[in-house]
Amino acid sequence: MKFAIALFSAAHAPSSRRALLFAQAALAGGHEIVRLFFYQDGVYSAANSIVAPQDEQDIARQWREFVSQHQLDGVVCIAAALRRGVLNAEEATRYQRSAVNLEAPWALSGLGQLHDAVQAADRLICFGGP
Amino acid sequence: MSKSLLVISRQAPWSGPSAREALDIVLAGGAFDLPIGLLFMDDGVFQLAPGQDAKAVQQKDLSANLQALGLFGIDDVFACSHSLTERGLTPPASAQPMDSAAISQLIDRYDQVITL
Amino acid sequence: MSTLHVVSHSPFTDGRLASCLRVCGAKDAILLCGDGAYALHNPALHSQGVKVFVLAEDSQARNLPVPDWASSVDYSGFVQLSIDYDKVNTWL
Repeated sequence: MKFAIALFSAAHAPSSRRALLFAQAALAGGHEIVRLFFYQDGVYSAANSIVAPQDEQDIARQWREFVSQHQLDGVVCIAAALRRGVLNAEEATRYQRSAVNLEAPWALSGLGQLHDAVQAADRLICFGGP
Repeated sequence: MSKSLLVISRQAPWSGPSAREALDIVLAGGAFDLPIGLLFMDDGVFQLAPGQDAKAVQQKDLSANLQALGLFGIDDVFACSHSLTERGLTPPASAQPMDSAAISQLIDRYDQVITL
Repeated sequence: MSTLHVVSHSPFTDGRLASCLRVCGAKDAILLCGDGAYALHNPALHSQGVKVFVLAEDSQARNLPVPDWASSVDYSGFVQLSIDYDKVNTWL
C-alpha cells in the first residue's frame, strides 16, 4: 500500500509522535510512504530550532532522522511555514529574517504537493490535534 | 481518473488560520482541476453567515475566497443542516444543505477526506 | 465504502466525537487515540452500535480498561485498519 501522511501539529503534540510511529509501522509492514506533507502547525514539527527538554522525547529530531534514514519525501507547506516563522535559508534571505530554522531533509513547497500525494497514494492519513 | 477529495471545514472564520487554510487546500485542488468537495460543518457554518465584518477585527475577509470557489471549478459546496439549525442560521444560497445521513453518504462518495 | 474515523480529543471537553457519531455510516469504525481514549468511559459511544477501536498505548497510559465492546490495537494494527477501511477520516 502507498501512504500519503499529512501532519497538522507541532513536535510537542502527541499526534506528531503518533504520526511518526504510524509512519515507522507502515514502513516496517512493507508499505511505501509516497510523501510526508506538513501543514498548519505541522510545520513546527520540521523546525530545526526545537530544543526539547532533556527528559522528553525530541520528536522533531526523530522526524528528521526518520526522513533522512529512509530518504523519504518530506515536504513542508511554504505558506503555512512563512506564517509561522519557519524559514529555510532562501526564504530567510528573501524576507530578510535573521533565523533559518528549516533545512534538509525538509523541502518547502506548495499545496500542490499535498494534492499530488493524494493522487499518488492509496491512503491519505492525517494526524493533528492532541 | 483523478481521486476525489472532500474537505470538511469545521472552524469559525476567525478562530485562527484554520478556516483560511482549509479553503486554501480546496482552491489549490481546484487550480489543478481536481475533483474537490467542500463541506461546512459545526462552527465552520459560521463562515457562511451573512453580514460579517472582518475589518472590525482586522482579519482577512474570506468571502472573496468563498466566491472564488466557482471560478476554480469547485461547485460541490455543502453545509451541514444540523450545524446550521444548532446555530440559528438559515441555509445559505452558496452551499447545499445536507442532513447527517446525507453527509454520511457524501463522505462515502469521495475517495479521500480531510477534516480540519 | 467504509471509513475509519480517528478521534484524539476527549469527548468531555470537545464536540468532535459527537459530530463524528452523527455522520458515521453503518460500515464505519472509530479509532480512539490520544485523549479520545477517554471516550471508553462514555456509555453513549457503546449504544451507537458503531465498531470502536482504541490505540493500546493510550488506554494503557491512562489506565483505562478496554471494555468488551471495543478492541485494542497497536501501531501495526492501526496501519492494518487504515488498509481494511476504504479511507481514514481524522477529526483534526
